[in-house]
Amino acid sequence: MEAKREMTKIGVDVGGTFTDLVLETTKDGTSRVHVHKVSSTPEDQSKGVLRGIKEICQAAQVDPADVKLVVHGTTVATNITLEHNGAEVGMLTTRGFRDILHIARHKRPHNFSMQFDVPWQSQPLIKRRNRIPISERILPPSGAVDTPLNEQEVREAAELFKKRGLSAVVIAFLFSFLNNQHERRAKEIIQEVLPDAYVCCSSEVVDVIREYERFSTTAMNAYVGPRTSRYLRNLERSLKEEGFDAELRIMQSNGGIGTVQTCSEKAVTILMSGPAGGVIAGRWAGAMSGVNNLITVDIGGTSADISTIPAGEIKIMNPRDTYVGDYPVLAPMIDLATIGAGGGSIAYLDEGGAFRVGPRSAGADPGPVCYAKGGTEPTVTDAQVVLGRLDADKLLGGDLKVDPDLARQAIDEKLAKPMGLSVEQAALGIIKIINNNMALAIRANSVARGVDPRNFALMPFGGAGPLHGVALARIVSANEVIVPPAPGITAAVGLLVTDMQYEFTRSVLAILNDADQTTLDNINVHAEKLVQLCRERLVADGVPPEKHRFIRIAECRYQGQGFELRAEMPDGALTLANKDIVMENFHRQHKQDYGYAFEGSLVEVVTLRVIGVADVESLEWPKLGKANGTGIDSAFLFSRPTTFDDGQTLNTPRYDRGKLMAGHEVPGPGIVIQHNSTTLVPPGCTARVLESGNMHVTV
Amino acid sequence: MTSKEVDPITLQVIAGAFDTIAQEMGHVLYRMSFSSIIRESQDLGAGLFDADFNTLCESDSTPLHIGSIPGYLRGIQDSLQGGEWHEGDIVIHNHPYYGASHSPDIAVVMPIFWQGELVGFSANTAHHVDIGSATPGLIIDIPDVFAEGMLFAGIKLYEKGQRNEAIWQFIGHNSRMPKQLQDDIEAQIASVKLGARRFIELIENYGKETVLTASGQLMDYSERILRSRIAEIPDGEYYADGFMDDDGRNRDVRLPVKVCVRVQGDSVEVDLTGSADQVPTGFNVPFEGSTKVACFFAFRALLLDTATSEEYVPQNEGSFRPIKVIAPKGSIFNPEFPAAAEARFTQCNRVIDLIVKALSPVLPERVTAGNSASLSFVAYSGIRPSGDYWVFLEVNEGAYGGRPRSDGPDAIDNLMCNTRNNPIEDLGMHLPMICDRYELRDDVMPGAGQYRGGIGVVKAQRLLTDGSITHENERHLDTPWGAFGGAPGAVGKVEVYNTLNDGGVKQLPAKFSGVPVKAGDVMAFYAPCGGGFGNPLERPPEQVREDVLDGFCTVEHAQRAYGVVITGDEEVDLAATNELRAQMQQAGA
Repeated sequence: MEAKREMTKIGVDVGGTFTDLVLETTKDGTSRVHVHKVSSTPEDQSKGVLRGIKEICQAAQVDPADVKLVVHGTTVATNITLEHNGAEVGMLTTRGFRDILHIARHKRPHNFSMQFDVPWQSQPLIKRRNRIPISERILPPSGAVDTPLNEQEVREAAELFKKRGLSAVVIAFLFSFLNNQHERRAKEIIQEVLPDAYVCCSSEVVDVIREYERFSTTAMNAYVGPRTSRYLRNLERSLKEEGFDAELRIMQSNGGIGTVQTCSEKAVTILMSGPAGGVIAGRWAGAMSGVNNLITVDIGGTSADISTIPAGEIKIMNPRDTYVGDYPVLAPMIDLATIGAGGGSIAYLDEGGAFRVGPRSAGADPGPVCYAKGGTEPTVTDAQVVLGRLDADKLLGGDLKVDPDLARQAIDEKLAKPMGLSVEQAALGIIKIINNNMALAIRANSVARGVDPRNFALMPFGGAGPLHGVALARIVSANEVIVPPAPGITAAVGLLVTDMQYEFTRSVLAILNDADQTTLDNINVHAEKLVQLCRERLVADGVPPEKHRFIRIAECRYQGQGFELRAEMPDGALTLANKDIVMENFHRQHKQDYGYAFEGSLVEVVTLRVIGVADVESLEWPKLGKANGTGIDSAFLFSRPTTFDDGQTLNTPRYDRGKLMAGHEVPGPGIVIQHNSTTLVPPGCTARVLESGNMHVTV
Repeated sequence: MTSKEVDPITLQVIAGAFDTIAQEMGHVLYRMSFSSIIRESQDLGAGLFDADFNTLCESDSTPLHIGSIPGYLRGIQDSLQGGEWHEGDIVIHNHPYYGASHSPDIAVVMPIFWQGELVGFSANTAHHVDIGSATPGLIIDIPDVFAEGMLFAGIKLYEKGQRNEAIWQFIGHNSRMPKQLQDDIEAQIASVKLGARRFIELIENYGKETVLTASGQLMDYSERILRSRIAEIPDGEYYADGFMDDDGRNRDVRLPVKVCVRVQGDSVEVDLTGSADQVPTGFNVPFEGSTKVACFFAFRALLLDTATSEEYVPQNEGSFRPIKVIAPKGSIFNPEFPAAAEARFTQCNRVIDLIVKALSPVLPERVTAGNSASLSFVAYSGIRPSGDYWVFLEVNEGAYGGRPRSDGPDAIDNLMCNTRNNPIEDLGMHLPMICDRYELRDDVMPGAGQYRGGIGVVKAQRLLTDGSITHENERHLDTPWGAFGGAPGAVGKVEVYNTLNDGGVKQLPAKFSGVPVKAGDVMAFYAPCGGGFGNPLERPPEQVREDVLDGFCTVEHAQRAYGVVITGDEEVDLAATNELRAQMQQAGA
């Protein structure tokens, strides 16, 4: 193995409450890793980011000038969509089709409701007054020009936008995926009139068929783009001013990292930057144990992110399922499900008398009842405290004082008494229901897609994850639990273990079964163009050509279907001899996803996708020392009564994870405590500590 | 079910499992299917049912399917091939006089056996593009139910696991789109097999007794919640009426729809007595599979509104129990054999709309002003150069009436309809059609009100080759009403013109059957606009100005309907507005 280069890099992941950091510095072939947490600064994320970077460098005694790479997971783009404070955007669109964004797919968000809200109408990404119809027309299926672009109308619209002071403009014409010359020409004109505006064409942002989804993606890009790019450039500049000479890279929703330049131009690619890091780190931690079938569960205060990684392959969501809020966004995103289940989820009896937990959350303020900050509704955390699984004096390393009596009282009054249960039974019920909610989401993300969890390990992380790990693994029948070394900062670790990655798409519709050489040539020409686009990006990022890898995908469907699935294409050009491979790959995928394949039916390619990847040197977690036959007594803290899922209460020993060595085994019942995370080892289970730092728990 | 109650925790766990299974069944069906009416519009329903045909769970797809399947199951019971269920059977069923919702909605049903005992059914329904009816895709002006196409009653597609090739071959020769029909049935089969497997897994995990007891309790739970909401309505009889344009043949005969809602304690009765007699065309409503389902929908949407109530009420039989529906035999809502009853959607939506209107005096916080309460369901068809048929079904949207706290949504599926439109670009690439216009109407204004009505859509589709069109639609004559001082909305219209020759614009009635069209012919559909809610003079002038800026309202309409004067530079002239509003107030008082 080639020796690691001497360098220092930092991963910094911004969450709602905390900004997590991890720093790796390599010298003389050995690496040191430091982790750190600072409070997030929601009004301007970069403040917390800068403070954290400075502090972690100090703690690690690293000179800012020696930091070569900073990888950033950011919620800045996502927050713009949540807070509805994006740019006021202008839009040019085909005459006769002014309201594609207003009509959307004409489906209500609710089946059974009269008073429902329609977010894309009540809070449009682009107001109707700024959507200007332009005379132009491209016709299918060839892309022929039927009505030439009326440049005068474009110019007048640009002047109107200028008068209205708009700083972002999108051009979204029908059938531009067949022929984008009108979009490109209109962009030139807009830029002549508004040289400083953020301007993008739908065919540049996502060059695919289906007007509403393409327009929505483009609108979203312009809505979040100006502020996102300003934020990224400011952060880049501030780092320089603070004496950092590091390259700044951004985590994208697809799990690959991109440059400030590319993520500014295509801000839609970082809308799911936040949760992506956790999934990537999950794969990395699994690999340290030689396990590549993983279900990752990242449990925080209000929500849980769930993802399935079969055979070490991080799955990407079907483009027809990628929404941000209620707006479709056709940007590749890691396939993960977010549900409203976390430590702060509230347990209550509804008016019909049903026992429910979440999705409502007590959040950070007032937080669980036991925080004594005014919360009155019992939460999952309160249940854990009542059951003795979280030690009142050990939360956040003892920094957060909690009152177990308040938790007990709230559960008794609100749940136990009305249901005629004991407080412990009610608390166990809270845990059982929240675990079940998460298990259903895991199942929807695994079993429902043809994945059998019995061949998978479950990896819980996030502060609350390892408390639920074994119970979840049992419900979904996963074969073991793997707790990564630093569960509380896993997402930040993910930033230092991923690759550079760029994706480009283009819709090219063709039936494969009877495709002749001309049809295949056309596919090849477009695929090669997409490869070229990826290559240009990687070269611009300073990646030498020998490190480039290209993955070619044909998104296919049976002719007549409406939903495509990914089929991998063979390396090199498609030929009459190898086109069957694509069809076979598609049949297989269809069978896996739906349990059935229409083998005799025509297979239609809809969209070509090329992913350009360059490996980045991965973080190396320091190995643990060996236990060498020593016992676990040196890690023992104290014992306290703890109630487990089967209802029995046992005097349960606590161990300090920082003092556990490779080869140590913690028998259940036991609890392993570390800063920001607690692992529950129920009776009958055993936690085994590995040299890599992972801890495996039997189920 | 007299056995011991299932504890509240296990109950929640099983409720979650049921819901997930239903969603999974729906997902597989629409993702796999071929016709756009299933895959894009999601005109389908899927779920699990107990051995007594009670709904245990249903997918969150098109509301008209939700609640219709028990009717199919009862109809199958009366017509089942061989009279007995066996393990490995799969049944196909669509007979409207054996419980079906209407004939294009074919049900596929698989019995679920556990240790040799029938414990329930996995079933779904999906709207098929063509079952060999009198005209391609859709039908209105037909003489009787036999013109609707293939009718299946209790027919086994699979018998004890053995595929019945004869019936598949028969289907293959009796549809204009045989491959699509067969492949979509395959998708339905994949979905019911999945549901059956999941139900068995559930029983394996929790035991049969627990699962069945839990499902009984979940039904009781849904029933209890709905009853408690009904009990909040003052007892009494509440009336509303309206009329339908015509039956698709007899253009001068209006069809009254009369609704009486009788609330007594925690039960409610919907009495449709006095509505039109059954009609001689296909414009009748099957009672079990459609009329009742429409009434169930109305009370769920009004009383268990998912946007305003936090509680999730499981989709099961319990929510149907407190509601009784009465429609005399031989009426349009309960036709007698052999009347055709395929084109039934608009009548269902009107019943719901009239229930809303009837209850508005006692539920002012939950209702809307008059909705489009129609449906535009279009079948375009033609012959390809290969000699094969092409048939395309399109659902066009409506608009909502204004509401007590918000404007009526524009251009959106209305009431019992909740489908998705087809991407214009996908159609353009695959069919000899091109869309010329798809945006909000600007030829009329929606109902003015403190909260305005929703704006309808205009959609113009041009055929590139000769073909034919059937349109199932309503509401060219009876305007959606304004509520609590709001103004009425606007009726819809249909125009046909040709882009290749200047033959002028022809107005068509809302519904028509198999109208032949030439290359270059355009059909432009204009959806009704919703009525306004509350006094328009109470709409804040600034909000009226915002509507003017966005083109939802003209300067002229702002002045005439809202008393808001907008200046040349698009500002509110407050003094002039106050004066005008005072005058209007006086004139109105």
